[in-house]
Amino acid sequence: MSDISPETNPLDRYSRQMRFPGMGKAGQQKLLASRVTLCGCGALGTVLANVLVRAGVGFIRVVDRDFVEPSNLQRQVLFDESDVADNLPKAEAAATKMRQINSTVTVEPVVADIDRTNIEDLTRDADLILDGSDNFEVRYLINDVAVKHGKPWVYGGAVGSQGMSMTILPGETPCLRCVFEAAPNPGDVGTCETAGVLAPTVNIVASYQATEALKILSGNLAAVNRELLTLDVWENTNRRVKVAPLKGRKGECPCCAKRQFEWLDGAHGTQTTTLCGRNAVQVSHRAANRLDFDQLAATLRASGAVTFNKFLLKFNVEEKGDPFEFTVFPDGRAIIKGTSEPDRARTLYAKYVGH
Amino acid sequence: MAIKVQVPTPMREAAGGNAEVAVAGATVKDALADLVRQYPALQSKLFDGGKVRPYVNIFVNDEDIRYLDELDTAVQDGVTVALIPAVAGG
Repeated sequence: MSDISPETNPLDRYSRQMRFPGMGKAGQQKLLASRVTLCGCGALGTVLANVLVRAGVGFIRVVDRDFVEPSNLQRQVLFDESDVADNLPKAEAAATKMRQINSTVTVEPVVADIDRTNIEDLTRDADLILDGSDNFEVRYLINDVAVKHGKPWVYGGAVGSQGMSMTILPGETPCLRCVFEAAPNPGDVGTCETAGVLAPTVNIVASYQATEALKILSGNLAAVNRELLTLDVWENTNRRVKVAPLKGRKGECPCCAKRQFEWLDGAHGTQTTTLCGRNAVQVSHRAANRLDFDQLAATLRASGAVTFNKFLLKFNVEEKGDPFEFTVFPDGRAIIKGTSEPDRARTLYAKYVGH
Repeated sequence: MAIKVQVPTPMREAAGGNAEVAVAGATVKDALADLVRQYPALQSKLFDGGKVRPYVNIFVNDEDIRYLDELDTAVQDGVTVALIPAVAGG
């Protein structure tokens, strides 16, 4: 028995990665023993999940609130047409693909909206938090929880041909609020809906994020990029700007200097979220018990068409000539398509789903 | 040679479609005043009640003005002033 087959040596699959001097066998073993929470599994998130699972990160929790739609397939690399046809939640569809790619690591899908009530539970056992989200509400929440508990995290953003990334090592580098004091209002900066997005933009940004993750998890903190990366793949610009002196913003950063976790404490954040790239609003409502879809479907059939599986219920209804599509999740959360107005969405939710 | 202000994509429509605008001034404040004089629609994109909007960062030759002299940071011909807002999507 001189041969070492893949079955007898589980590290063989990582041989090219281990041959890279910065990683080595020691780095690989750290990856295998590490735990990551991936917040959001859309364009950035699927690229991140793909790299991490192939690299052998030992435990990956994938959290996403959404389900796979046809317009995702242009850039969300883990999904295909069958996921759309099956109406699968992104976290579940991603987990299935990830297990096919690497069955030797643990993948935990969580179909949930990340908010201040669950983010500490979702990240408590993680060594690193990765931003695969598409909105600043989640990013400021991640920033709060990461600074509060001293966990590293990697921000990434992508719109059109523009991308941005920054690595946050609490206590060592500026936090997100040191650099960007407040979230932009919807409409003040581009969104996927107004500006569109090219797949290479998200692939490149997420690949930078993934590289930072590999450095951190393999114990190569000295290699971490401590500058703000900004790039434009269409205009051929790629620059790193110095942000290190902003750390703590002369003692005035509410988050990392004053340790006021305003997003986590609920001083910021709302019950409704306008979704990037779609004429839709998410209404968050924590139901005391999981919804009974059989019962809800029976009620809603009087007003419109209803279909459901164990993950979600779809309901189409017309009001004053405007068509709306509800996607309701068992935890009471709903995405209402056909409006970008939070108030109208709240009203529609109250009218059909309740509360 | 003038001072170059790089205008980010979400603000270009308000800047006549330009990615870069040549301005004059001795400080960042003067340079931005000249920018807004040329393209008044940029006023509300950049400022909120006289203060720079909190998600727009201003860099002079890749250095953030918040650790230089803020809006009083000196600029001269040949310098690049980059306006860099947070990038949302993903």
